Amino acid sequence: MPTQVAFFVEVLAGGLLAGVMYALVALGFVLIYKASGVFNFAQGSMVFFAALTFVSLTERGWNFWLALAVTLVVMVVLGVVIERTVLRPLVNQPQITLFMATIGLTFVLEGLSQLIWGSQPHGLELGIADVPIDWLSQKLNINISQFDIFAAFVAGALVAVLAVFFQKTRIGRALRAVADDHQAALAVGIPLQHIWAIVWAVAGFVALVAGLMWGVRNGVQYALTFTALKALPVLLIGGFESIPGAIIGGLIIGATEKLAEVYVGPMFGGGIESWFAYVVALLFLLVRPEGLYGEKHIDRV
Amino acid sequence: MLYREAGQFKSSYAEDQQIFPIRQDRIAMGVLLAVAFVVLPLAGNEYWLSAILTPLLIFALAALGLNILTGYAGQLSLGTAAFMAVGAFMAYNFVLRMPWLGILPSFILAGLCAAAVGVVFGLPSLRIKGFYLAVATLACQFFVLWAIQRIGWFTNYSSSGVITAQQVVILGVPFDTPARKYLFTLTVVALMALAAKNLMRSETGRAFMAVRDMDVAASVIGIPMMKTKLLAFAISSFYCGVAGALHAFAYLGTVEPEAYSLELSFNILFMIVIGGAGSILGSFLGAAFITLFPIFLNLASDWLQNVTGIEIQHAVVSNLRVIIFGALIIFFLIVEPLGLARLWQITKEKLRLWPFPH
Amino acid sequence: MILSVENVSLAFGGVRALQEVSFDVQEHEVRAIIGPNGAGKSSMLNVLNGVYHPQTGKIRFRGEEFTDMESHRAAAMGIARTFQNIALFKGMTVLDNIMTGRNLKMRCSFLHQALWLGPAKREELEHRRAVEEIIDFLEIQHIRKTPVGRLPYGLQKRVELGRALAAEPKLLLLDEPMAGMNLEEKQDMCRFILDVNEQFGTTIVLIEHDMGVVMDISNRVVVLDYGRKIADGTPEEVRNNQRVIDAYLGVAH
Repeated sequence: MPTQVAFFVEVLAGGLLAGVMYALVALGFVLIYKASGVFNFAQGSMVFFAALTFVSLTERGWNFWLALAVTLVVMVVLGVVIERTVLRPLVNQPQITLFMATIGLTFVLEGLSQLIWGSQPHGLELGIADVPIDWLSQKLNINISQFDIFAAFVAGALVAVLAVFFQKTRIGRALRAVADDHQAALAVGIPLQHIWAIVWAVAGFVALVAGLMWGVRNGVQYALTFTALKALPVLLIGGFESIPGAIIGGLIIGATEKLAEVYVGPMFGGGIESWFAYVVALLFLLVRPEGLYGEKHIDRV
Repeated sequence: MLYREAGQFKSSYAEDQQIFPIRQDRIAMGVLLAVAFVVLPLAGNEYWLSAILTPLLIFALAALGLNILTGYAGQLSLGTAAFMAVGAFMAYNFVLRMPWLGILPSFILAGLCAAAVGVVFGLPSLRIKGFYLAVATLACQFFVLWAIQRIGWFTNYSSSGVITAQQVVILGVPFDTPARKYLFTLTVVALMALAAKNLMRSETGRAFMAVRDMDVAASVIGIPMMKTKLLAFAISSFYCGVAGALHAFAYLGTVEPEAYSLELSFNILFMIVIGGAGSILGSFLGAAFITLFPIFLNLASDWLQNVTGIEIQHAVVSNLRVIIFGALIIFFLIVEPLGLARLWQITKEKLRLWPFPH
Repeated sequence: MILSVENVSLAFGGVRALQEVSFDVQEHEVRAIIGPNGAGKSSMLNVLNGVYHPQTGKIRFRGEEFTDMESHRAAAMGIARTFQNIALFKGMTVLDNIMTGRNLKMRCSFLHQALWLGPAKREELEHRRAVEEIIDFLEIQHIRKTPVGRLPYGLQKRVELGRALAAEPKLLLLDEPMAGMNLEEKQDMCRFILDVNEQFGTTIVLIEHDMGVVMDISNRVVVLDYGRKIADGTPEEVRNNQRVIDAYLGVAH
C-alpha cells in the first residue's frame, strides 16, 4: 500500500477507534438521560472514581477479579446513593437545575476520590499491551494498537449486553416505559425510583468499563475526568437519548477529530483537538438541532 | 422594630418604581456605599484590599454578567471565563496598540469585543436550548482559550504566552496602590451594577425573564426571540469582558491565558447558584461567599490544628473545599434554588413583621 | 370583516389537525369556536397567531393576506392571546407580567434603560399608568406585586387576560378562558370579556366548553369536529343543527 494511503487509513482507523472510546463514556450519559431526563455532567468524574478505586485496590495487592467485583459494588452503591440524595429531592425540577446539580456532584466526586485515594497518577495494565498489531504493520504498513481493537470489542460487547438488558428483561422493559413517559409509567405501577436507582447503578458499571479502558490508555489520573468533555460533542451529534447515536456520534467525532488534527491542525499551529469536536458538533446542530437520532418535539400550547 | 415601612406612603408611580422603595433600605445602602468607598480604602490593610476585596468585586461583576444571561434570560453558559479572557487580552492590546485611547475607552472596547464573541457563540441558542446550549458554550470556552494561546498577536508574541497588564492611569492619576486599584474597581463595579439593575427593571429585563420563563408565550406577545437572546448574550459578555479586563489590570497584573480555564467558568456559575439566580444582589453575595469561604476554611483548619495538634495536610483541605463547594451547590439547588439572595429577602420579610409573626 | 380564514389545513406527520377550515370574524363581534375534545380548536388559534404553520390555506387579517404567520408578527399586527394551560411568566410579578404585554409599544433602547435617564424613565412610568388601568379594570390591585406562581388558578387566568389586554389588541384570542373555574369566577370572567368587547371595541375569538357561556356571550359560533367545520352560525342556529347534536352526543355512523 502506498505510504500516503496507508497513513490515511492508519489515521482514520485510529480516529474511529478513539471514537469508540468516546462512545463508551457517552453511553453512560445516554443511559441516565434516557431513563430520568438528567444530563449527568458527573459521568466523567464517575469514570475517574471507578478507575481510581480499581487501580488503588489492585496496587494494594488485591486480586484482579476481586478488585473488579468490589469496584463494581462500590459504583452500584454510589449510583444508588446519588439517586437517593441528589436526584430524588430534585424530582420535577427544571432540567437545567438537575444539570447544575450534577456539576456540583462532579466536584464532590472529584474531591472525594482524591481525598480517599490521593492525587498521584497511576499506571493501569489489563494484560493487553498498547502496541501496534504486528502483522498489520508488516503486511500493510499500518500501525493500529491491539489495545484499541480490544477496547472496540469491549465496547461492542457492552452495547450488546445493554441491548439485551433493555430489550429482553423485565427491568429493561420498565426502563423503556419510564424513558417514554414518567407519568404513564408510574400510573401502570412501575416503581420509578427503583428504576432510576438501577439506571444509576448501570451507569456506574459503564463508567467502570470506560474508566478501565481510558485508564490503560492515559493512566489513571485527574485528567480522566476530562473524558466527559470529549463525550459531550458526541452527545450533541448522536442525541442525548440514543445508544446507536452515541456509537455513531463517537465514530464521527473520533474520525473527524483525528483527521483534522493530522491534516488541518498543523496549519493552525496544532492543539485544535481541544475545540474541534465541539465546532463539528455545533455546525451539525445548526442543521439538525435534535441530533442524529433525537426526536423532534412539538411544543404544545 | 426598626425595619418598618409603616407611614411611608407612595403618591406616584415613580416613587413606587425606585430601586429601594423602603426608606430603611436606602439608608442601609448609603451606609454600605460610604463604608466601601471611604472607610475601607482608609482603614483596610493592603492584603485585604488587594487579595480579597478587589477580586471579590471583580468576580461579582463577572457573576453579574453570567446572571444576566443565565439567571435573567435563562440561557445557561459554561463559557464565562472565555469572555473574561477576551476582555483581559483585548484590553491589553488596546492599551498597547492604541495608547492614546486611555484606559476606560480601552476597557469599553474590550467589553464590546467580548460582547461580539458572545453574540457569535450565542447564535446556537436560537436553535438549541437547555443543556444542549450549555455544551455549545463549552465550545466557546475551549476555542477562545486556544486562540489566545496559539495566536501570538493576543499576547504580543510573548514567548511564554504571559502578558503584563499596563498600569491604570486616568487623567494623569496612577492607580497603583492596592487602595487605589480597589477604588477603581469599586467604582466600575458599582456603576455597572446600577446599570444592570436599571436594565433588569425595565423592558429589556422583562423581555429576558419572559424568554426564560416561557419562550413560546414570550414570542406570542411579540417579544422577538432572536434579538432578545442575542442581546442577553451581548450584554452578559460585555460585563464578563469588563470583569476580565479588571481582573488583569487591577488584580493579577501578570496574566496567563490558563487563568481563564473552565474551572473559573464553573466557579462563577457556582457564585450565581449559591448567591441567587436572577438577582443583582445575589451576584455579590455569591462572589463574596465563594471568595471568602476558602479563606474561612483555611483559618478553620489552622485553628483545628492548633487545638488538636494533628497536622492537616494542605491537599486534604483543598479536597475538602472542592467537596464542600459541590455539596453546597446541590444543597442550595434542593433547598433554596434562588440562593442567598432569597434567604436575605425572606429575612427582611420576617423582620418587617417582627416581633409579631402575622 | 376583520379576519377571514380560507381552507386552512394543518397536519402533524400523519395526524390531520385541521382540514379545509374556513370562517370569518366580523369587526367587534364575539366569535366562539366549539367542538368536542381533539376537534382542532386550539390548533386553529395556534394557526391564527403563528405558533403553528398550516400547510395550505389563507388567512386575511385587516386587509393583509398570509399563508403563514409568525407569532411576533401577529402580535405586532394586533393579535393577542391567552392559553388553555396558562402561559404566564411564573417568576415575575403580576405587574411585570402585564407590563410585558406592552413590550411592542416601548421604544427606548436598552442603553437608555440602563442609564434610567429621562426618556426611559418617562416611558416606563407612562406604561405603568396604562397597566394600572388594566389592573383596576380587572380588579387585581391587591396582588400587583405578587409573583404569579403563587396565585390561585382563577386569578392567574385573569392576569393572563390582563397581559393580553395590555397590548391593546384589535383581535383577542381566548383559549378556554373559563376552564376549571367555579361559577362565580366564570361570571366574573364573562363580565370582563363582555366589558372588553364593549368598552375597548376589541374583537374576540374564544374557545369554550361551557355551552351556557358560549350561548350567552357569543354573537356567532363555529363548530369543529375531527378538524373539519361542521356548522357555523348564531348560537340559536348551531344549537339546533343536527350534525352538531350528533357530534356532541355521538351517533353511530
